[in-house]
Amino acid sequence: MVGFAAGLLDAAVRASTVFIFAALGEIISERGGVLNLGVEGMMLVGALGGFATTVVTGSYWLGFAAGMAMGAALALIHAFLCITLKSSQVISGVMLTLLGTGLTTYFGTDWVNRSIDGFPQTTLPVVGRYLVEIPIVGEALFRSTAPDFIALALVPAVWWFLFRTNLGLEVISVGEDPETADTMGVDVFKMRYLCVLLGGAFAGAAGAHLSLAFSQLWATGMVAGRGWIAVALVIFAQWRPERALVGAYLFGLLDALQLRSQGIDLALDAGAPLAGVVNPVLELLMHPTIMSTYPYLATIVVLVVTVVRFDDSRLGAPSALLEPYSRETD
Amino acid sequence: MNLSVELEAREDVPAWLVYGTPVFTVVGALALSAVALVALSVNPVAAYGTMFVETLTNPFGLRQTATRTVPLVLTGLAVYLPLRAGLWNVGAEGQLYMGAIVGTWIGINVSLPMVALIPLAILGAGVAGGLWAGIPAYLRAKWDVNEIITTLLLTFVAVQIASYLVRGPMQGGLGNIPGSAELLDAATYPTVPVLEVHAGFLVALLAVAVTAVLVARTRMGFEVTFVGSNPLAAAQAGMSTARVYLFVFLVGGAFAGIGGFSEISGVQGRLRPAFSPDYGFTAIPIALLGRNGAVRVLLAAVFFAVLFVGGSRLEVSYGVPAALIDVIQALVILCLITAEFFKRYSVDVELDDEPAPTDGEPGGAA
Repeated sequence: MVGFAAGLLDAAVRASTVFIFAALGEIISERGGVLNLGVEGMMLVGALGGFATTVVTGSYWLGFAAGMAMGAALALIHAFLCITLKSSQVISGVMLTLLGTGLTTYFGTDWVNRSIDGFPQTTLPVVGRYLVEIPIVGEALFRSTAPDFIALALVPAVWWFLFRTNLGLEVISVGEDPETADTMGVDVFKMRYLCVLLGGAFAGAAGAHLSLAFSQLWATGMVAGRGWIAVALVIFAQWRPERALVGAYLFGLLDALQLRSQGIDLALDAGAPLAGVVNPVLELLMHPTIMSTYPYLATIVVLVVTVVRFDDSRLGAPSALLEPYSRETD
Repeated sequence: MNLSVELEAREDVPAWLVYGTPVFTVVGALALSAVALVALSVNPVAAYGTMFVETLTNPFGLRQTATRTVPLVLTGLAVYLPLRAGLWNVGAEGQLYMGAIVGTWIGINVSLPMVALIPLAILGAGVAGGLWAGIPAYLRAKWDVNEIITTLLLTFVAVQIASYLVRGPMQGGLGNIPGSAELLDAATYPTVPVLEVHAGFLVALLAVAVTAVLVARTRMGFEVTFVGSNPLAAAQAGMSTARVYLFVFLVGGAFAGIGGFSEISGVQGRLRPAFSPDYGFTAIPIALLGRNGAVRVLLAAVFFAVLFVGGSRLEVSYGVPAALIDVIQALVILCLITAEFFKRYSVDVELDDEPAPTDGEPGGAA
């Protein structure tokens, strides 16, 4: 049982990294007032771009950087459409997800089934080799790939950036009240471009982590809705990085459970009361295909619970989210 | 030397822009997609010739186009109706799958004559699709839960359910290939004489007519449009936005569900996992292109049907991945929202030697 728990925890931590990257990026973008529904597409582009770059150059760090750059490039389109052209953020985001899916399927066919040496498992530098010895959590937390550690380190970094630096407070101000921010001398347009581009780079990093560290391969559509889960996660996290970490672990655990469900046997003894009813139901619920729907269903449940428990004002959404900013006075 | 860009909100939109937008959009998308073709060293002119001219100049291509139009227009309506009310149904694909599941189950297990069985299967598919869309609609109407995320997440669930069923409880005798048993003959759409297209085509045309009348001629249709243009004013006028939201999703989802059964009954013959090449997602640009009326949704669906048919031709003759269609879809939306910008603003670009005033409008210069 200890072995199973340790294995499950390890898998959960590794599965959560992708949600951490993507959700942190989305938080920055939305804090600046721009909803990005293109995360799924940006993750796909990051995954393929990172993978292809690694195959060609042999360097997984170069691949990771390329993935981030590709995500940011797609985000640049979003920024231009939503900030400069003041288009609907919803339409632009959905379009970018379609575009990312299409482009990666179109150009990705040749890269399927290639094998790479992705990020290796390492222990956390300096203190890692002692901490790995901690039972159950040691291996899970302190032996991982470099992007796993980066994602974890980014949680306090983004928190610090948003709430403790001038630039971060300017980001929040253009998401809450762009008119006032503009009056105070903050360049709303530049600031929003920065947020959307950072968000895209984070989404690209999430994708690159998926193909370079998590799966070490490229498969068409491999993001499989994780980008959308990340968008929902931001609402669950109420636009706060530290809560996004909790949410990411929750979904990572669900992901991991699904992959390891065959190892669990909860069936009642044939003679036990209700076994005839309970066992088929359990069997259905534990079926791998059915279990793969749980993260999506859980996201919906979490969304409903969050929205029902907190009304709009206490939910904490940036006030100017979805509103294009325009200097004209009319 | 400086480039100064002046933006001015238009008072009214010139007529050539109103009618030119769909044309500009499609041409622009095809021009941009040509870049992707060139990247795989395919001559875009020859490729588009194959896609459009060859498809539309022979009876086989035309029949295939009509067949493809059926699921596209039905899912297109499923996105179009909520869009009229200002809501996003990005989960038409899931509603299509739920309709296909229930319709197929009825078409395999209920033994009735064709005149009763097909309507029953259509009804079952419509109810399934409608209820599946009803979940996000209820959550949106009751608790204001974002419908974009919920409709999309439920799509992944529906696709997995279909995948589970055809490998488990609904698996037919196909050896190792996952799929349900074949539909009863009485549940298979007959072929319409002269047109030589399956009867689902008529069902789709009927759905377009129903939607057009519903939106333009009924009180509910008026409320839908009113809520879509100004939900606050509609609420003050005593309209129930919740009722409108449920209505557009239930009816739209029902159309998508019927589209799912139609694809199984008219084309596939049995339910397979991943039987749809993302019809429900293509529905998004279709609804956007056709958002001014149900008939325009039909026209947009025909355009995308041509893309699908021509695209598979392209795949055979040039080895171009069929995913090019996805790229073109996205680019259609891209061009559409760019065109929207030019509808709303007139842009003056001036090149002069004077330094631009620093308080100029910082837009468009990127």
